[in-house]
Amino acid sequence: MTQIGQTAQMRLEGVSLSYGAKLVLSDINLDIARGEIVSVVGPSGCGKTTSLRVLAGLVSPSGGRIVYEGTPLSGPRRDIAIVFQDYGKALLPWRTAYQNISLALETMGTDKSERPDRIHALLKLIGLGNHADKFPSQMSGGMQQRLQIARALAQEPSVLLMDEPFGALDAMTRQTLQDELLTLSTKTGATIYFVTHDLEEAVYLSDRVVGLLPNPGRVGRIFDVNLPRPRDQLTTRESPEFLHLRHELYQFVKGAEQ
Amino acid sequence: MTLARTIGFIASLAVAILFIFLWHLVTLYKLVPPVFLPPPMKTYDALVQGLASGPLLKASLATLQRMLLGWLLACVAGVGIGALVGTSPVLMRYLGPTLEAFRPIPASALIPVLIAIVGLSEGMILSVIAFGALWPMLLATIHGLQSVEPLLYDVAGALRMNMATIISKIGLPSAVPDILAAMRLSLTIALILATVCEMLSGNTGLGQWLLYSARQFSSANLFAGILILGVFGYLTNALMTVAERHLLRWKSPHEANRAGIA
Ligand SMILES: Nc1ncnc2c1ncn2[C@@H]1O[C@H](COP(=O)(O)OP(=O)(O)O)[C@@H](O)[C@H]1O
Ligand SMILES: [Mg+2]
Repeated sequence: MTQIGQTAQMRLEGVSLSYGAKLVLSDINLDIARGEIVSVVGPSGCGKTTSLRVLAGLVSPSGGRIVYEGTPLSGPRRDIAIVFQDYGKALLPWRTAYQNISLALETMGTDKSERPDRIHALLKLIGLGNHADKFPSQMSGGMQQRLQIARALAQEPSVLLMDEPFGALDAMTRQTLQDELLTLSTKTGATIYFVTHDLEEAVYLSDRVVGLLPNPGRVGRIFDVNLPRPRDQLTTRESPEFLHLRHELYQFVKGAEQ
Repeated sequence: MTLARTIGFIASLAVAILFIFLWHLVTLYKLVPPVFLPPPMKTYDALVQGLASGPLLKASLATLQRMLLGWLLACVAGVGIGALVGTSPVLMRYLGPTLEAFRPIPASALIPVLIAIVGLSEGMILSVIAFGALWPMLLATIHGLQSVEPLLYDVAGALRMNMATIISKIGLPSAVPDILAAMRLSLTIALILATVCEMLSGNTGLGQWLLYSARQFSSANLFAGILILGVFGYLTNALMTVAERHLLRWKSPHEANRAGIA
């Protein structure tokens, strides 16, 4: 279990955020360990996306701070990558799959001669090996989201922030991508901050699930998930521990909603 | 799709032939005096003769060159200024109203003023064409840059892109569809302005050719010139369509249909 302090790769220290007069996040304290998978659940509008944007450095907290690898976070960093929910809008539609991944490498100044090999490796890793020259408009939703993940991985991130990445996909594709994400997390060792409204998904993927309460957004409860890894879509989801957690989460969110 | 296209092509050809036939009938029965409307065959003769013996060819090439050079200048200036204004809130605030005020002034209204001040040298003609033709591109670039998908700014932010990179890799590419549509519109403006400038300045070109033919009551030469203007308009437009189809091939078929380029 994460001990406050020493092992945290990323910590939110009393983070609060207001948009105008509206307090969106209030006094959030959370430590995230290196390599950990943390999911965030809570009723719609409770500040899940906002918390992710704060962690990304895209918005600065109005109060408190984020400490990343021991130093205060002052803005976006290339080793913190984001996967957005709306893959259709987060990809560059005029660029092919190959060129979309290339965007990350171009921006990071990766040597031109190194790019093709790395891009092809990423395409292969994410299962798009045969679709390098397709434009997003020629790809299914699942493929587009894979592409966005590949672009994020091109940053070689130590932290992956994901905002309901599988929310718009059909159930089968979602489960496939969940398993691929778990494989990736083992392969890369990246820390994953995963926003979702799918409670089973949260339990299935995570080491811990953070339950947010709304108005203002604050941490209500943190659920430890002690399910063994590797996880399996059938056996994990059928285990009593899984069902028990799902039950508790459900009751938490239900209670938070009213 | 190809069948529909073939049928469309045959239909448009049939309409053209029917049109020429009607033209032939009108002149045959002298419904319009021949000083105003020459028969198709005489127009064709004038066209072939003018092109073969040189003067019409020379005039046509001069007009084509002016049109294209003026248009290219307009593209560079329009997109360049548009990129500056569209990405700078300060410039937008100060220049926006002025640009809006300038826009409705047709470039042809400017020509007499310019002639009065500096005369219409070759350079001046190009400037007038460029000035008249740059507005659609300028406004399209500004509009395109202002309607960039906001999420892409987050993508850029997470990658720590600098402003120049954001403009070149995200802003301008997403403005490309708007800019291409404006470039097509500007081609027509450039052709009209090239012709008008030639009429007013007397420099060699189709404008001057038209004026000269009209003064000589040579309707066949006049129509030959008009025909060439039509062909220029048609061909440049067709080339733009090919370019657009290639450059916007990333659009989904549905979007492409809506943009009218499929
Ligand atoms: N840019 C913004 N300006 C003003 N209010 C915002 C902005 N972004 C989010 N909010 C508000 O903050 C609250 C939390 O939003 P969000 O983090 O998107 O919630 P969630 O992702 O949990 O659904 C909402 O009430 C939303 O209206
Ligand atoms: Mg959200």
